[in-house]
Amino acid sequence: MSPSPQLATDRAALMLQLVPYLIGKGEVSVVEAAEDFDIPPETMRAMVQRLTVIGLPGEGGFWQMANDLFDIDWDLLDAEDVIVITNTVGLERSPRLTAREAAALLAGLQLAASLPGVGDSGVVQGLLAKLARGAGQTPAEVIVAPAPVDAVRTTVAEALRRGVAVSFTYRAPDAPETTRTVDPAKVSISGGQWYLQGWCHMREAMRTFHLDRVSDPVLTATPATHASEPVPELFEPAEGDDIVELRYRRSAAPLLTEYLRAAETAGDGEWRTARIRVADARSLKRLAARGGGGVGILGPEQARRAALEWVRAGLAQYS
Amino acid sequence: MPPEERLVNLVVALMATEQGLTKDTILTSVSGYREQSDAGAKRDALEKMFERDKENLRGLGVPIETIGDYADPDDLREARYRVPTAEYELPADIEFTAAEIAVLTLAGGVWSERSMSAGARAGLRKIRSLGIDVDEPIIGFAPRLNLREPSFAPLQRAMEQSRVVSFDYIRPGDAQPRRRRVEPLALVEFEGRWHLFGFDANVGAERTFLLTRIGSDVEVTRVAFDPAARDGAGERALTGLRTVAERQRALLEVSAATEAAVRLQRRAVPGPEDEQGIRVPYVDVQVFADELASYGPEVRVVEPAELRDAVVSRLAAALETLEDAR
Repeated sequence: MSPSPQLATDRAALMLQLVPYLIGKGEVSVVEAAEDFDIPPETMRAMVQRLTVIGLPGEGGFWQMANDLFDIDWDLLDAEDVIVITNTVGLERSPRLTAREAAALLAGLQLAASLPGVGDSGVVQGLLAKLARGAGQTPAEVIVAPAPVDAVRTTVAEALRRGVAVSFTYRAPDAPETTRTVDPAKVSISGGQWYLQGWCHMREAMRTFHLDRVSDPVLTATPATHASEPVPELFEPAEGDDIVELRYRRSAAPLLTEYLRAAETAGDGEWRTARIRVADARSLKRLAARGGGGVGILGPEQARRAALEWVRAGLAQYS
Repeated sequence: MPPEERLVNLVVALMATEQGLTKDTILTSVSGYREQSDAGAKRDALEKMFERDKENLRGLGVPIETIGDYADPDDLREARYRVPTAEYELPADIEFTAAEIAVLTLAGGVWSERSMSAGARAGLRKIRSLGIDVDEPIIGFAPRLNLREPSFAPLQRAMEQSRVVSFDYIRPGDAQPRRRRVEPLALVEFEGRWHLFGFDANVGAERTFLLTRIGSDVEVTRVAFDPAARDGAGERALTGLRTVAERQRALLEVSAATEAAVRLQRRAVPGPEDEQGIRVPYVDVQVFADELASYGPEVRVVEPAELRDAVVSRLAAALETLEDAR
């Protein structure tokens, strides 16, 4: 949950959204409303209470009459922490979308539209037009160009939708091809890359598969019985992995973001060190080669040697 | 009375009036100003507060209309202010189906960047307040946009306000970053990377910049440009990137049944017959060289020479660092 908004303008924006929200809900608990507004419950409660001093201007210098102000059911709020709005003096319908809101939804829509079954339903075209009409300001052009969707992506998405296991050939880096049968739990897109997370019948556990490494997918008739087991975060390091000590240039840090999230790092100069966990220490040879001199391996020695050989063999092709 | 309550009171008052309220009426009757007027606050301090409030509300998208003197439109002494309901509210005939809400909910969840994520959530909230019950959420799909570049938020803000930005841009191979002055027209995610498309004042033409190469804070200047320049900019940017990929096709030799083969063959396009190797389009030579270097001996660049040299220099530098790291 986010903290309470710091700027008065942002708090005003929330209050403008609050009235139509409360009317739409009819009756809503403070906790649920706070969740929907992404603010702490005490902030929501205070905001609702303060709503009752807001209203139409007083006429001819007089203070406002009670029915010129917003009002709520105070007994219900005090006794049950439930909000019901009992008098409104305007703001009943939602404000139009701001440029930022429209841009954020439009860009998200372009990405969501690339998911098989979402984009081809005709819903997206209708939404684009409605969002454009519902915006009060011209949104900035924020464009997402999704990667082409191939048969692998379509089949995996179909398996997820139908709730059946999917079989495919998987080629992980530096490993022989295997045939996997997976109960699909989640299809993720991150940084333009597609991943399937699901329960692997061979490993008997949740695994993440990069869809570029998947080929020949086949839908099975087997119900996906393990798909509801907890799905780990996309890049969560597994336990009991190899520990590697890296030396890296400050400018190479963005390349290592996923690794550094849970790493111990040291140094704040041009060169830094980090102890990271990886599933397979050999995989770091690819990282070191990509790093173009910005990433070195301090240990274990066998990981460093593997990377050295990798880079030498790469160079040997050009000599 | 806290300022946010004064702001909301002002919106309620300006929406309730057909003919508009004068500044004088506002300052003496709208709660939040009235108390300060009564307490003897200086008139010009109150007027300044009103001007600021108006600007802040316009920033939130509240359409505050100024009705001036018909005889002299520049004379604002007798101006009246109002908020036309039709322009403030979501159009009355706009409705969303449960299926549309489900897709929008998925779309609203893609952002990791704070201001866009908050924007998407606020937009969804406004739409949901129209009173639609969501039937079945779309589960099992998690589309996400990765966004780590701190330059995104100020660029987005500058686009909304049609203001010129300036920043240091590091071109690979240049010894020094160069200061660029750009009219920001579109932000484009292409092949997982964010690009700024804009009119570059230094070269007098539209250019595309990688956000990862912006090497300074983005300064949003006070210089405005014609918002019409933004029209269709996203399409122009995409066409430009695709044209580049169309033109630049590396010839690569890839070892079978390797990570390089798996990742590159998907992207390959047909080349001339009886050519050895595969043709893979790319947009940026440095970005593609990073990827190709990671494949080590799994791929060899045949052409172009620029790409080959970039890969070789990465591998050579990596070798040096690895030999060094003991």
